[in-house]
Amino acid sequence: MEEWKPNPAVKPHKKRSWYLAWKYKLMNQRALRKLCQTGAVLFLLVTVIVNIKLILDTRRAAYEEEEESAQDYDDEMLNVEVPRHPVNNKKVLDVEVYSSRSKVYVAVDGTTVLEDEAREQGRGIHVIVLNQATGHVMAKRVFDTYSPHEDEAMVLFLNMVARGRILIFTIKDEGSFHLKDTAKSVLKSLGSQVAPFLSWRDMWTFVGKKGGEVYGEKHAKSPALSTWGDPVLLKTEVHLTSVEDAECHWPDTELNRRRKRFCSKVEGYGSVCSCKDPTPIEFNPDPLKDNKVFDVPVAVIAGNRPNYLYRMLRSLLSAQGVNPQMITVFIDGYYEEPMDVVELFGLSGIQHTPISIKNARVSQHYKASLTATFSLFPEAKFAVVLEEDLDISVDFFSFLSQSIHLLEEDESLYCISAWNDQGYEHTAEDPSLLYRVETMPGLGWVLRKSLYKDELEPKWPTPEKLWDWDMWMRMPEQRKGRECIIPDISRSYHFGIVGLNMNGYFHEAYFKKHKFNTVPNVQLKNVESLRKDAYETEIHRLLGEAEVLDHSKNPCEDSFVPDTEGKVYVMFIRMEQEADFTTWTQLAKCLHIWDLDVRGNHKGLWRLFRKKNHFLVVGVPASPYSSKKPSSVTPIYMEPPAKEEGAVAVPAVAAAEQT
Amino acid sequence: MKPLCGEGSRAGGFRALQGLPMQKINRNAVLALLSLASLVFLLFQLCYYKFYLSQKNGATFSKVRGSQSGQDSTRWHVVRKFLGLISSHNIPVYLIDPLILGLVDKDIEQIRSSPDGPSPECKYFCASRDFTTFALLDKTWKHEVGLFRTAEKMGFQWLKIINKDPRLDGMDDLSGMEIPLHYIFKLASHAIHLVVFYERSGNYLWHGPLRLKQHMDRKFVPFRKLHFGRYPGAYEKPELLHVFIDDLKVQIPKNPSSFLEEMSHSRFLECRYREARAFLQLYPDDASLDAVEFRIKAKSLLHLAALTLNNLGVKFWLSSGTCLGWYRQCNIIPHSKDVDLGIFIRDYKAEIIPAFQKAGLPLKHKFGKVEDSLELSFQGEEDVKLDVFFFYEEEDHIWNGGTQAKSGKKFKYFFPKFTLCWTEFVELKVHVPCETLQYVEANYGPDWKVPMKVWDWKSSPSNVQDNGVWPVDEWDDVIQIY
Repeated sequence: MEEWKPNPAVKPHKKRSWYLAWKYKLMNQRALRKLCQTGAVLFLLVTVIVNIKLILDTRRAAYEEEEESAQDYDDEMLNVEVPRHPVNNKKVLDVEVYSSRSKVYVAVDGTTVLEDEAREQGRGIHVIVLNQATGHVMAKRVFDTYSPHEDEAMVLFLNMVARGRILIFTIKDEGSFHLKDTAKSVLKSLGSQVAPFLSWRDMWTFVGKKGGEVYGEKHAKSPALSTWGDPVLLKTEVHLTSVEDAECHWPDTELNRRRKRFCSKVEGYGSVCSCKDPTPIEFNPDPLKDNKVFDVPVAVIAGNRPNYLYRMLRSLLSAQGVNPQMITVFIDGYYEEPMDVVELFGLSGIQHTPISIKNARVSQHYKASLTATFSLFPEAKFAVVLEEDLDISVDFFSFLSQSIHLLEEDESLYCISAWNDQGYEHTAEDPSLLYRVETMPGLGWVLRKSLYKDELEPKWPTPEKLWDWDMWMRMPEQRKGRECIIPDISRSYHFGIVGLNMNGYFHEAYFKKHKFNTVPNVQLKNVESLRKDAYETEIHRLLGEAEVLDHSKNPCEDSFVPDTEGKVYVMFIRMEQEADFTTWTQLAKCLHIWDLDVRGNHKGLWRLFRKKNHFLVVGVPASPYSSKKPSSVTPIYMEPPAKEEGAVAVPAVAAAEQT
Repeated sequence: MKPLCGEGSRAGGFRALQGLPMQKINRNAVLALLSLASLVFLLFQLCYYKFYLSQKNGATFSKVRGSQSGQDSTRWHVVRKFLGLISSHNIPVYLIDPLILGLVDKDIEQIRSSPDGPSPECKYFCASRDFTTFALLDKTWKHEVGLFRTAEKMGFQWLKIINKDPRLDGMDDLSGMEIPLHYIFKLASHAIHLVVFYERSGNYLWHGPLRLKQHMDRKFVPFRKLHFGRYPGAYEKPELLHVFIDDLKVQIPKNPSSFLEEMSHSRFLECRYREARAFLQLYPDDASLDAVEFRIKAKSLLHLAALTLNNLGVKFWLSSGTCLGWYRQCNIIPHSKDVDLGIFIRDYKAEIIPAFQKAGLPLKHKFGKVEDSLELSFQGEEDVKLDVFFFYEEEDHIWNGGTQAKSGKKFKYFFPKFTLCWTEFVELKVHVPCETLQYVEANYGPDWKVPMKVWDWKSSPSNVQDNGVWPVDEWDDVIQIY
């Protein structure tokens, strides 16, 4: 029972033990607490450290990622940014213009933009057009107004320049001999006081704004016929306008953006930059039905004749069936303006570092251009080759589309050319007629890829050989007896007057009167009869029906051919062997067709038109068609002129060009 | 852990009130400060993460699990919008995304057989990835700027990577406009990588490397994750197939698995035209008629050999002199007098000899055997010879063998390990060792840049070693001359 009673003696003990236990517990707890506290502190510290580390890490990681993300993809070529000229806020340009017998120069703000002191060159009036807002040179021309017609070209040019542009004129050597009144009055209307009285060997400089103020003019009169006026130096200031004033406000389209870029850079392209009614730069000609040449690349071979290129591309892009995507313009040299023209039309242009000189340079440019064309269009079997000084007929692609299969199928063909060397106004008649000829005319032609890649490219004349590429292509080693197909009426027109092998006289004599087809959609006839064997059948048929002309008459005279239309006539000339062209050359000369070398022949046969009659010339006995000659007819023989004369003829042309 | 520690610090605070106030308060303050700091850091972390995400918006494609489904449909929507954009401009693109093509390949039979069936779930275009890659054939569109205007109106940001046109990079010094190589269209958190393919001489497609110009936005997308663009690549022209996958109409390569296989070793090396031009400055090219004619013959022989081996499916590469010609002057060396190819012995097929014979190239000699030092030589047009060397792979090197006919002597030519890359050579897409310099140096020594007209295959190479003599009883087998 007592057991039930709490034992007081025990109690304290019990109490003590509880206390001790509690104390112990408390002590333990304190230790725990301490432990916990330290733990907490440690943990907090760790958290802080971890946090800081995390921040640093993420930051570094982010930074690294930034750096690295694109590292592998960086262009290894360091793009050295060309330091841009600070925006020129200057409102005034200093212009210096110098005119003298042997030297002209123009400096704008201390930069020489024209300097010509070459001998025997650059005679006449030099014109420079500056942008009135930026002061950039937009056009540079020289008009040799000592020679005839150049003043007309100058008037044409000045009329094309937009109002507000700054014009700078200076004369080198002589600029008045053929400066007619029209030109003088145009100069007068620009504000020149001296122009109407400019005379023999005067020196003259003039700076003015088209349709606005005159900034300066200086003149030095020539004291005597045999001497020149004293050199003059004009120093003046030109006030610039704002960019907005110098630009047109065309609607904002992709086309007009190209136009704007072009028009702010160059001058002298006429209505393409007209503010009111600009001429279109996109032509959208009718597509061709069943166009076989839509995927054929077109290589335009160009130099630094941007105005020519402009005219050429306009006609090319207006031709039916053209595919602008296949056109590539190859520019020989790093000229800006031709590239501007190419970009204006939204075409692709490629510049070529010039290699070698003269003919070899042209020839290397051709090679590079052809190689690049087949590389850019690896699937193409053909390439159309054009030059910058050609007008392209509206049915150029239609002509090719109808005939290109022959080039693919007939191994005996060398090319298809749009140019008939003998197709003059008075010797070509039928737009639907095609010929086979042994010569390669060029001037707009189609080249087979296999011919280029397997034969021509590996053997192409190397840069040190000063050969004409076309002459080389005409050599028997290359041509190997193959022929080209040409139309009777050319599908291209050679308008270039300035060129490596070209001058005004030469152009007038041999190219100006060339016939050029302007009829669209001409359906070619008898394309199949152009194949090798079929053509022989065709020729025999033609000779069979041809009327033999009266060989006692003079073939040079008009009366040689009767006044009929649509008939076929044949004449026989003497041609001792395959290479005997003595009589032919004389005949060509008097017929006023190409006579500088032999063109357009097929096995000793020439085909052309006289008085709207088909006119065949057969060389006897070299031609296999000699058998068609009636035995009564004696082939005509024409004596070449005395040797000296012939030899002098061409140099005389060159000499006439120099004063 | 954290709440417990919070209690701990509160307990500490209570203790601090009881005794040693100063010290305790200090401790308390320290603790409070620490917890405050940790709280601040926590907040900061949160904010930073949020900021980091928004900054990279779309660039770092969030991998947060929770938003997975949203992400999935975003990808699909972006692809759908892109396909709409492309088709409204009539631009034919095809899918080359390796991830999606990999998925598609598993179900290819089913996809082919039911070309327009609706799909129950978004299986392919919703798959997790950063980009969707499409290919575009350059010649099939006109580079209209209108496309990009429309793209912008649809909300796409886009990036265009242009560079020079390698097709103009030949020996002639031409410079054209730069051509577009890659486009990237970005919308929300997904991006479309459009790779532009160009046709090149040799009947193949080429895509360029992706290189950023200095002014470009390096963070536009994570460029390193792109599947195309680290190197340029060469591909066969693929046959395409119109399919409906995930309710979207797309074109894919007809055989996705072979495309993926092709992709894995598509790396392309451009010839070193600049160095070749410098070489030709130093040693002008041989323009003699003999040289011209040899090159024509060697080129057609190489074309014929490539055709024959490709038809058999045997992988080969330009070796020895032909490889040197490619590497040094981007052309056939006119005085080399033969065409040399390499083939790994594992790719050897018994049909090789009959196939060449059928192609009009009779066997001229056969040295060695498949197990050791095999070398075949075929007679091409006139005196141009085609040598085919078989290469044996070892642990740390690769070698091929040579045999001297009259003595039965064996030689071994050592090369460091190499892999194969595509290149273009004389209008042909062919393999060359990627590590070309090591390969050429092994063969021709450090002076490979100097032309040598006299060359003895037994002593001139710098990697040749005597390898004993064939046992006389084997001669009939290992030395066959026709």
